[in-house]
Amino acid sequence: MISSEQGLFGEFGGRYVPEILRPALCQLEDMYQQLRSDETFWQEYLQLTQEFSGRPTPLTALPRLSELLGGAKIWLKREDLNHSGAHKINNVLGQALLVKRMGKQRIIAETGAGQHGLATAIIAARMGLQATIYMGSEDVERQYSNVFWMRQLGAEVVPVNHGSCTLKDALDEALRDWAASVDDTHYVLGTACGPAPFPELVTYFQRVISQEIRAQAKHQIGALPNAVVACVGGGSNALGAFCDFLDEPSVRLLGVEAGGRSQQPGQHSIRLHGDLASPGIAQGYKTLFLQNRNGQLGETHSIAAGLDYVGVSPVLADLVARGRVDATSATDAEVTHAFQLLMRYEGIIPALESSHALAGGFALAKEMQPQEHVVINLSGRGDKDIFNIAQALPQQEWLDFLEREVARTEQRLKESAQCPNGEEQYVSNG
Amino acid sequence: MFPTANESLKVMSHCVVGFPSLEENEHAIDGLVAAGIRLIELQVPFSDPVADGPVLVNACVKALAQGGSFEATLALARKVSRRHPEVTFVLMSYLNPIYQYGIPAAIDEIANAGIEGIIVPDWPVEAMRPHLLHMEKRGVAPILMVTPNTASARIAEIASASRGMLYVVSRMGVTGSSTHWGEEFQTYIARVKEHTNLPLAVGFGVRTREDLQALRGRVEVAAFCSQYIEWQAEHGSERAAERMAQVVQSIQAA
Ligand SMILES: Cc1ncc(COP(=O)(O)O)c(C=O)c1O
Repeated sequence: MISSEQGLFGEFGGRYVPEILRPALCQLEDMYQQLRSDETFWQEYLQLTQEFSGRPTPLTALPRLSELLGGAKIWLKREDLNHSGAHKINNVLGQALLVKRMGKQRIIAETGAGQHGLATAIIAARMGLQATIYMGSEDVERQYSNVFWMRQLGAEVVPVNHGSCTLKDALDEALRDWAASVDDTHYVLGTACGPAPFPELVTYFQRVISQEIRAQAKHQIGALPNAVVACVGGGSNALGAFCDFLDEPSVRLLGVEAGGRSQQPGQHSIRLHGDLASPGIAQGYKTLFLQNRNGQLGETHSIAAGLDYVGVSPVLADLVARGRVDATSATDAEVTHAFQLLMRYEGIIPALESSHALAGGFALAKEMQPQEHVVINLSGRGDKDIFNIAQALPQQEWLDFLEREVARTEQRLKESAQCPNGEEQYVSNG
Repeated sequence: MFPTANESLKVMSHCVVGFPSLEENEHAIDGLVAAGIRLIELQVPFSDPVADGPVLVNACVKALAQGGSFEATLALARKVSRRHPEVTFVLMSYLNPIYQYGIPAAIDEIANAGIEGIIVPDWPVEAMRPHLLHMEKRGVAPILMVTPNTASARIAEIASASRGMLYVVSRMGVTGSSTHWGEEFQTYIARVKEHTNLPLAVGFGVRTREDLQALRGRVEVAAFCSQYIEWQAEHGSERAAERMAQVVQSIQAA
């Protein structure tokens, strides 16, 4: 398990925030230190994940793909089977228990792919809290199905229209909101980034992934896996999957970043490997950022909205610097290919974020021996990506469907304008 | 020169370097000086200004597209500090542009450019401490911030590291929206004064003459920033300076 001295991981981490946010972070830090040594809290957390989210998630063998690729035996850790469809809920459930302890009535969050926002909206609905979700306006367009669900769940979704209109701008906006509302609001940060204690706190809740992989591998494989692979946006699913193997030198740990279209500035989100990113201090913490020489954070790109982030967990930056975690990347094209392979050969529809882990994991498996085992963390399922996939693999049939759907929606709107009680009617009609 | 404690209220105003454009910055500052402003913040535009509200965020976005940067701020400061020796220029920045330049070198260049102080909202006192001696030597005053939720012991700690003035954030939140100067605010100011003799600069939400009247006799400096930038954006730098002149007169007349 990771722990830090004052929120520092090697040269990374820390708490570089406007003074106004400091008391809330100190309070959170105190609570985190208390609950870390409180075994009953972890039990309460596990029970919640089991009863609400369906943990433990299975470890699934991929016999057909393993055979096709001809290397190591490939397994998937099925975080896609969580309620709400991604690992993000693990962290949200943990922070929800903190909100309960702090007695705050409102939660805010930033979201890229929408999976963290969705998980936050879900827990707000369940606990009767008010929720505001900040999302880059570009991501609102890319992941509209999640926006729709968040709003149906009763959350307010605020599109952020400045800067690069993606995850980093949503994070800035959430910090600004928090500065004004910190007395009654908790910021449910969605990944292992931001000011201390968030990187460690979020890792602590995601650690459940590697705890389960460990136990399941022992049972199903009879040994620890030889490698664990995960995609890296902010780094929370990767740290969750790696955490309990950090002290096992025989287990290779590989993080896969978004290689995007190319390694030109603005066309990728590669921070951990190569020399595309450099140390910087922004958004409340020190880490490797994509930035220009003037210290302005750069634009990023990924086919997967959830990996399209300019910084990276300080915990991971340090683990890579120390050589404990390896980093690689997969391009948009490689990701689409891996996505198709998993669907066609194993009948599983992965998220585009997770498909980065698949691309990196498949390449690694090919280099490994048939008696070896690689576990790929499938951080989420692909439902939310249906529009992106349909665009990446364009088909006339999909276009025809969309045209019919537009016509149907227009008709519906016309009818409900004539009948002001349309909404009630809709509900009573089921 | 910074104001001394118990001096009558001074207005501090603002410049986002690169907004509306690098050329216009110079004229805008001339206009502010003609309006009677003697304290001016030069803001280094930043891609992710987390303590700022929409007016300054948008100004930063435009400024960056027009060549605003830490170096452009130094270049502007060199010119205007020589031209207006009676004015105190303060650099406002987020930490990363300074960090990328190299903190010790940045402090030297800030001093060389005739800038007398710095305000960096995301540079907490503990991280700034290793550089305080160097700032002292070069005559760059660290102007740190306290907020309504800062604990008393920490106010003392922040005040003891600060020079020139102490920046008192008037309320919870980012720059730009308005503030209520009620009893709670008076108690807050009194609490801050228990821990320091530094002149106090109140900022975040000073937008009207009424705001200035409320601050007169209580603090030494009122930061009139977002509202000025809003005027500048809407009516141009000249008209904005005229309005600032009225603002300055209103507190002198009263
Ligand atoms: C399915 C899925 N996987 C991965 C990520 C990347 O985030 P992280 O690296 O913090 O796990 C996201 C983020 O939105 C996501 O939705």
